[in-house]
Amino acid sequence: MKHYDVIVIGSGINSLSSAALLGKAGKSVLVLEARNNIGGMASTIEFLPGYKCNIINDTIKWINPKLLQELHITSADLQIIKPEITHIALGENSKHIYFHRDVKKTANSIKNLSEKDANNWEDFTLYIKKSTEFLERLYQNTPPKLPNINVLEALSMKNMLNPIIKHGTRGIVDLLRTTPMMMLEMMDEWFENDLLRGTLSSIGVHHSSLGPFSASTGYNFLHQHLYSNGIIHHNTFIKGGTFKFAKLLKTIAESYNVEFKINTKVKSIKLDNEFCKGVILENNDEINSSIIVSGVDPKNTFINLVGIPNLNPNFHTQVRNIKYRGSIARMHFLLKKLPKIHNIPIANMDTMFSICPNIEYLERASDSMKYGCLADEPSISFCFPTIINPDFSSDEKHILSSTIQYAPYYLRNQQWGSETNEVLKQTVIKTLENYIPGFNKLIESCTIYSPKDLEKEFGISEGNLNHGEMTLDQFMFMRPTINTAQYKTPFNNLYLCGPGTHPGGGLHGTNALNSVKEILKN
Amino acid sequence: MSKINKYDAIVIGGGHNGLTAAAYLARAGKEVLVLERRHVLGGAAVTEEIFPGFKFSVCSYVVSLMKANVMRELMLPHFGLELLPLESTFTPLENDYLMRTADADQTYREIARHSTRDAETYMRFGPRMGQIGMAVRPILETIAPNAIRPSLSDLSNLKNLLNHVKNLSSEQFEYLTKLMTMSSADFLDEWFEFEPLKATMSASGIIGTFMGPRSPGSAYVMLHHYMGDIDGAFRAWGFQRGGTGGVSMAIARSAEHFGATIMTESSVEKVIVKNGKSVGVALENGDEYKSDMVISGLDPKLSFLKLLEEKDLPSDFVQSIKNFRIRGSSGKVNLALDGLPNFTCLPGEGHHLRGAISISPSYDHLEKAYDDAKYGNFSKKPFMDIILPSMLDPEMAPPGKHVMSCFVQYAPYNLKGGWNDSKREAFGDAVVNTLAHYAPNIKDLILHRQVLTPADLESTFGLTEGNIFHGELTIQQLFSLRPAVKWADYTTPIKNYFQCGSGTHPGGGITGSPGEMAAKKILGILK
Amino acid sequence: MIYKNNFHAETQLKLSPFFERTSKLNESQEWRRWSGYLSATNYELSHENEYFAIRTKAALLDISPLYKYIIEGPDTQKYLHRLVTRNINICKIGQVMYTPWCDEDGKVIDDGTVQRLSENTFRITSAEPNLEWLQYNAMGLNLKIKDDSKNTAALALQGPNSRKILNTVAKDSLDQLKFFWMINTNIKDCPVSISRTGYTGDLGYEIWIDPKDALTVWDILLEKGKSYGITPTGLHALDISRIEAGLILLDVDYISSRHAIIESRKSSPYELGLGWAVKMNKKNFIGKKALEKELARGPEWEFIGIEIEWDQLEKLYREAGLAPGLPSTAWRTSTPLYYNNQQVGYATSGAWSPILKKYIALGHLKSNFAMNGTILDFEVKIEHFRKLTKAKVVKTPFFDPKRKRSCPK
Ligand SMILES: Cc1cc2nc3c(=O)[nH]c(=O)nc-3n(C[C@H](O)[C@H](O)[C@H](O)COP(=O)(O)OP(=O)(O)OC[C@H]3O[C@@H](n4cnc5c(N)ncnc54)[C@H](O)[C@@H]3O)c2cc1C
Repeated sequence: MKHYDVIVIGSGINSLSSAALLGKAGKSVLVLEARNNIGGMASTIEFLPGYKCNIINDTIKWINPKLLQELHITSADLQIIKPEITHIALGENSKHIYFHRDVKKTANSIKNLSEKDANNWEDFTLYIKKSTEFLERLYQNTPPKLPNINVLEALSMKNMLNPIIKHGTRGIVDLLRTTPMMMLEMMDEWFENDLLRGTLSSIGVHHSSLGPFSASTGYNFLHQHLYSNGIIHHNTFIKGGTFKFAKLLKTIAESYNVEFKINTKVKSIKLDNEFCKGVILENNDEINSSIIVSGVDPKNTFINLVGIPNLNPNFHTQVRNIKYRGSIARMHFLLKKLPKIHNIPIANMDTMFSICPNIEYLERASDSMKYGCLADEPSISFCFPTIINPDFSSDEKHILSSTIQYAPYYLRNQQWGSETNEVLKQTVIKTLENYIPGFNKLIESCTIYSPKDLEKEFGISEGNLNHGEMTLDQFMFMRPTINTAQYKTPFNNLYLCGPGTHPGGGLHGTNALNSVKEILKN
Repeated sequence: MSKINKYDAIVIGGGHNGLTAAAYLARAGKEVLVLERRHVLGGAAVTEEIFPGFKFSVCSYVVSLMKANVMRELMLPHFGLELLPLESTFTPLENDYLMRTADADQTYREIARHSTRDAETYMRFGPRMGQIGMAVRPILETIAPNAIRPSLSDLSNLKNLLNHVKNLSSEQFEYLTKLMTMSSADFLDEWFEFEPLKATMSASGIIGTFMGPRSPGSAYVMLHHYMGDIDGAFRAWGFQRGGTGGVSMAIARSAEHFGATIMTESSVEKVIVKNGKSVGVALENGDEYKSDMVISGLDPKLSFLKLLEEKDLPSDFVQSIKNFRIRGSSGKVNLALDGLPNFTCLPGEGHHLRGAISISPSYDHLEKAYDDAKYGNFSKKPFMDIILPSMLDPEMAPPGKHVMSCFVQYAPYNLKGGWNDSKREAFGDAVVNTLAHYAPNIKDLILHRQVLTPADLESTFGLTEGNIFHGELTIQQLFSLRPAVKWADYTTPIKNYFQCGSGTHPGGGITGSPGEMAAKKILGILK
Repeated sequence: MIYKNNFHAETQLKLSPFFERTSKLNESQEWRRWSGYLSATNYELSHENEYFAIRTKAALLDISPLYKYIIEGPDTQKYLHRLVTRNINICKIGQVMYTPWCDEDGKVIDDGTVQRLSENTFRITSAEPNLEWLQYNAMGLNLKIKDDSKNTAALALQGPNSRKILNTVAKDSLDQLKFFWMINTNIKDCPVSISRTGYTGDLGYEIWIDPKDALTVWDILLEKGKSYGITPTGLHALDISRIEAGLILLDVDYISSRHAIIESRKSSPYELGLGWAVKMNKKNFIGKKALEKELARGPEWEFIGIEIEWDQLEKLYREAGLAPGLPSTAWRTSTPLYYNNQQVGYATSGAWSPILKKYIALGHLKSNFAMNGTILDFEVKIEHFRKLTKAKVVKTPFFDPKRKRSCPK
């Protein structure tokens, strides 16, 4: 049996990036994927014969430019669609807000609803831009091992100095103020219009279990805006779907001789006295390697693959305490034809839409997380993949892909199943109907992914798309635990590269970049 | 009228922090004048005989965070500080109860009735929290540095703190980080399983905040409440003999002993500013007093937006103070009783009536109460922290009668439609009804009832929006950011104008700390 | 003169299943709290007779307050093997092992016995509650842990005559029961298990009883044991004998690492003289990695016995005009140990040994001073003044009679 330098478990964006980067560094790499295709959550599939969509992420918020640079990915390889209107927040009275790439245009759109807010808009975008510049730097570093930070680690953070020089320490102070904020506070400081407050808050709670009245949603808001250059609701699309990105990474990896095995589920990691020797597959085959890089989430990595009896009690506690709490469901509707949205020209339908009329609406929806029930009035974001990528439909039919928040993984007194999925579907249809009259009649079929389904399908604990909540207690040097935030684990030769590590989730590949840096150091 | 009208220092507000600052300054030989708007001293730490024979600790009701060195340095025991221990925390449940007492073994057994695992964990939890409290102490006792333009002493303070933090164990640091960022429910869920225990413990994380136990940030408030010491013993709660006002009176007597002049019914209208310097104050009644410096013990909104003209202040500072969050969420119901409440789950008189009684049977109870407030209503079934002062000090009520102090959450300041008399009474009814669920005889016992809404706390005690801590204790409002960046070291953009209320570092509660640190900063003892 | 005891008090403390008897027998009415139970310190006005019962006759102690856990299920052996430092894989059915267990830093959490009741059932006893730790480490394993503390009453019958007494009351003979083994038998129709274990360092047994049979067993033991000098015995006498036996006591001689809030309060098994119970050839157990490292660099502390030398002690007392004052009961206050005017350790418990006629103590000593024979200075307080007196490091146990381990031929 061949011995590999590195086995990468999983083939999501971060796993693929790690494999490619390690391959590039001359390592012999094998990627093992449990599903029948690579890509993990970056999956664009024919959910019905003849109709494709992105199962999880409609849009891509940002990709780490350094990753593209290191893997020599050009805009010709990866075509990013950047609509001029990045987002439309649907208003109850058909007074919508258009978010443009051009700040002034957005301000103009806001002006219809509030003069005051329109005047604040540009300042707000600058404020966000400044704060995200700090985060961009921070994200490039492996988190220090606190509290006993040594000089070398401190020096490695010196790239933080640039933005400090540029913005002064005031910038850092603003960042420190903003990250623990609740969206409510941020909105109170800037805006008065309900719809604007609602739609911006929905970014702060994006894929989170928290509501906008929860501290640290400000941080998530910033996280969603890295490299956005101050463009709020920064949505871009990948031509051909997110899977194209995964496939491209695979192609690059293969050019560095990385090998791939799909339909190959790892059962456990082979340990000998805290040294990883390789992996054991579901069929009990063993594959040996010098290094293992896990792209699956911490719970799967440690509890399931390493196994509880191999974990130190203290580490075991820390791993168990990681919070996942999936909070969203995905729903894809096949529609007989393109629907009409109140007061939206067809030409503007190639972007993301959100239904979140005000901040209280969003908070009420989030209450369902606390009580383990389905939200009566969920916040919904959606788009028409078939408009953005016309080849996703083989005929005149269209698809509406939606994200429903909140749909708690833990329900009380009931289980996720066809019954709950049906209730959720009716709720979503009712909500959409308010903005898209006649929507119900257009539906030909509907595919639902509850958090339970997401967990099952993609192997993500509790259906959390970020491999762990994006909260401050699970941020940077605490992600995934205080002693494993450096991508290393208590087990020699076992590394982490997934979104469960710093700096968290998204199709950006930063986790892989940092992780590979650490792996190659040793 | 005061004897002279030129002082070394004028302290605005006779709350316990203002009085503490005054006492320290007087002790250092300064000529000090304290001006209090009300007819009584103490601010939110006050005792008043609202109904003949019944004395109420009208606002704050238990003392634990008061700094031991302040008690000693100002000789407070000599001037009447007498703290009686609260024996237990009692959580009535539907057909059972949860009880924690001063005896570790007994507490173990009581918790073990519900969960053996929790009983064991509890024995480990307390000392751990104490350790974290100790780790935080030096931070609380350091003047918060200017984060924008740090001075040399700021830098050396920072360096000391960094060294201190570096020397924490990884475990301490981990818990500290978690406590700074998590919700109290999440933090407790990592330790315990029995929900009434978790809910009751989490309740200290919501006191005075506009958060629920599941709101991130509430763990810090829980820690804040773990940092108290009475007689140097961590975390014990005490009751001031004669009511909380006794603490303020002890400080006032100490201040007077050191030569300070204290005037009540002297509401300050404006701080007089000349050439960017404060030179004195003007009272509502038109009197003016001159002084070399003015120290405000009021909350930041009043200190800057009311007592000063916006034009005298830098605009970014004004913006910061406007952005300072000060949402009130608590109310207080004080009852004069004809006898003792009888709890269905533990009938009769007993140890449980000599401690805190917590209406916090579950997280849901607390969260639902919070939900009501979140959306602009008072809680229909509120969380309550109750004590029976007359059980600890019989002189609080006529013989055979009792007083009961109910601290209540939530009551939002911004009630839908605003507060008025009938809403106040409806709120009082909600409190009594919730209590009657556990102690049905309560309704028949009530002789008098005083209900304080956040609006009342604002109008009577000058607490903006009724916030009991002069500003929310959220991470972005702590340390160098309390109340505003650059001005967290008790100085203000106005020369010779200082602040010493709970809206400054290290925050609210009967601690004496802001007053002490402000005075020491002014006197150059602390840098 | 006998005064009739009519005391009636309500208590929030727990009462053992034997309390109905022990409360009547307790002439001194001296009690101590032991794990929340009322526990007799001495039944007679002085504990001396009880002490000598342990060493010369037979002493009966109510040890019900011990924490007891039953662990049952297919994974139990594997589980315990990882949990404790001793080799559970070689523990046979009916065998008992004394062992400490550690946290992952190799610091002792508690010590107790592991009894193998059947292939997949074990009982573990401990000084402090351990359920949380036991359950925590059982996650993902196929076994059940039951807190059995209340469901099993326990007596210790200790002393040279203990076997004879049991042979008269038990269905089976105990002659062949070896040290640290146990059998199931009956005492007057009551099923009991009897282990040859104890906390006195003498010949002795511990009897594990269903609480409903507690009084029956107690009564018959006292009745049949009378002619062998059976004596209800309290904690004072026990404390002296366990020191003579060199046995450590949690919260006196060491602090559980689960409760120690600072590092320096924690001890490894090596630092408690329990190195013999750490089986490094085991593949893995909790704390192994840390203990390996400690072993490599040598433990910082050692747990030792000391004998306070008589002559100088006597001289110091004589200077004060007194005869040597000796502690009548065991003490538990930390007492400094010096070498060349430098503190190199501290004694944690000590007693005058009536059987050895020696003043002995147990304590912690920096390793480089822990050789047998090293002469230290021990701090004593004579008439309010602190003095130093010579003490010698010696091997423990101080007292170790052959009968402890031997079986009749
Ligand atoms: C209902 C309630 C319950 C509480 N319970 C507790 C508790 O149990 N334990 C605890 O530790 N803490 C408790 N607190 C918090 C604690 O009481 C406060 O944080 C603390 O007392 C604040 O002290 P201070 O001196 O900073 O301010 P204050 O006490 O608010 O003092 C400010 C003073 O300034 C006066 N003033 C206002 N305007 C003017 C003016 N223009 N001119 C002159 N004077 C003026 C006011 O009358 C007041 O006396 C509670 C608070 C409340 C409201």
